[in-house]
Amino acid sequence: MKHLLILIFCLASFYSKADADAKQIIKELNRKFYALNDYSANIFMKFDIPGVKMNSMNGKVFFRKPNRFRIRTKGIFFLPKQNPMQNISNMFLDTSAYTTVISGYEVVDNRKCAIINMIPLKNETDLILGKFWVDEANPLIIKSQITTKNNGTIETQNYFGDMVQYALPSKIVIHIEINKMKMPKMMAMDLKKKSVDKSKVNLKEKGSIELNFSGYKINTKFPDTVFTEKEE
Amino acid sequence: MKEFIAIFKNELYKTAKRPRTYIGFGVILFICLTLQAAFYNDGKEILSFFTNQIDNLFNVHGNVLNGNLICFLLLQTLIVQMPLLVALVTGDSVSGETASGTIRFLLATPASRSKIILAKWLSGLCYTLLLLGLLGFMALVVSKWIFGSGDLMALNSEALTIIRGDDINWRWAAAFVIAFLSLAVVASLGQMISCFIDNSITPIVSVMAIIIIFTIIGMFDLPSFDLIRPLLFTTHMISWKSLFEDPIPFSDIYFSCIVLIIHIVAFLSISIFYFNRKDILT
Repeated sequence: MKHLLILIFCLASFYSKADADAKQIIKELNRKFYALNDYSANIFMKFDIPGVKMNSMNGKVFFRKPNRFRIRTKGIFFLPKQNPMQNISNMFLDTSAYTTVISGYEVVDNRKCAIINMIPLKNETDLILGKFWVDEANPLIIKSQITTKNNGTIETQNYFGDMVQYALPSKIVIHIEINKMKMPKMMAMDLKKKSVDKSKVNLKEKGSIELNFSGYKINTKFPDTVFTEKEE
Repeated sequence: MKEFIAIFKNELYKTAKRPRTYIGFGVILFICLTLQAAFYNDGKEILSFFTNQIDNLFNVHGNVLNGNLICFLLLQTLIVQMPLLVALVTGDSVSGETASGTIRFLLATPASRSKIILAKWLSGLCYTLLLLGLLGFMALVVSKWIFGSGDLMALNSEALTIIRGDDINWRWAAAFVIAFLSLAVVASLGQMISCFIDNSITPIVSVMAIIIIFTIIGMFDLPSFDLIRPLLFTTHMISWKSLFEDPIPFSDIYFSCIVLIIHIVAFLSISIFYFNRKDILT
């Protein structure tokens, strides 16, 4: 009985410490997000999506708190529905909506990171579980894995340059998994091609989208119309 | 040469005078305008049919429903029907005159039989070119005017390829050249069968039947058809679509063009050979 009580006490202390550490890290991270009201930057996007052939493209990105986001470019491009540039800061700033706990530590990209699990407190939120690898020395989200009800799991890895004070990355790599494309030959009018092997149709394939940012302009109060302009 | 030009002009005049010539133009106008109106009203719903496999994961940004996409879909739809319209005119170029007896008057001119067949063939190609020109105008120019320009989201059975708007015009030009070659095969086939038969309906129906049978064989993915499929001209008629892949399979496209040209030369040669030896009994 005595041993059991000691074990419970130790576990309680451990989780309480982990919770406090997580809150401290998020507090420091949020300090950076608070300082940011809006930004614009140049963006260069590289796509490696299975079943989608698309050239790289340049554009300009605009963000305004809490979650207004726009990439202005000429042409068609795809972005994951869970856009990390749009959602993460907003997700962290609403501290009443989630609880956090450190589930371990890992070295990512030569940085010692705390693995923070974010669990939503409200049932109606889309988030199921957020897992963030946050640099302990200088709180920045180095890696994230977000699972939502509507859009599954999405993994991102962030690389930072000269905008660490605002936690803005210079490069984001979004990792995706997608089913192999399937279109009946008759629909696509591909008389010359053989149909896709049915055994391979449901196989998930991995891909990525790389977003490179440069020339950040912070808190410049650009007009709201950039978010409502018609896409070209 | 003079008599050839005279016969050629005469053939053009005869083609222009026949009411059935205008059915093709009417059909193209009707189909293009109807589909454009449908895309204008329900474009997003139609589009979601093509993008439903990526819709769960991605937001698609940019003007997807633009003139280039409409042209791609129209060309894909009409390339199956266009041969029937070509056959309607070229299928009775010789047999129609044989049936009505006017072929005797034609053969009474100083021009050789080979020149007569060549003149009829060229006249058929002119009609085909005009038909394709109207399709190009309606599908590309009018669609761009209505829906605007932009990147093309080209769909095939294996991948979705985004072709950038500034890299597309040369592809359209090449696609229409290949489409012309494809339709020229049909025109030549129609004329060849027209030389064999003495009534005007059978060659038209025969060409239509051949195209339908070949297309069906091409579409069914059965191992027994694997050997036959590359030999069918209908398989190569769709090779314009390969211009909208990344990377472009140029060797496949060249091969298809060569196959189509071989078919044209073979059908024309057989027409000339047969017509030169044909007894005109009507």
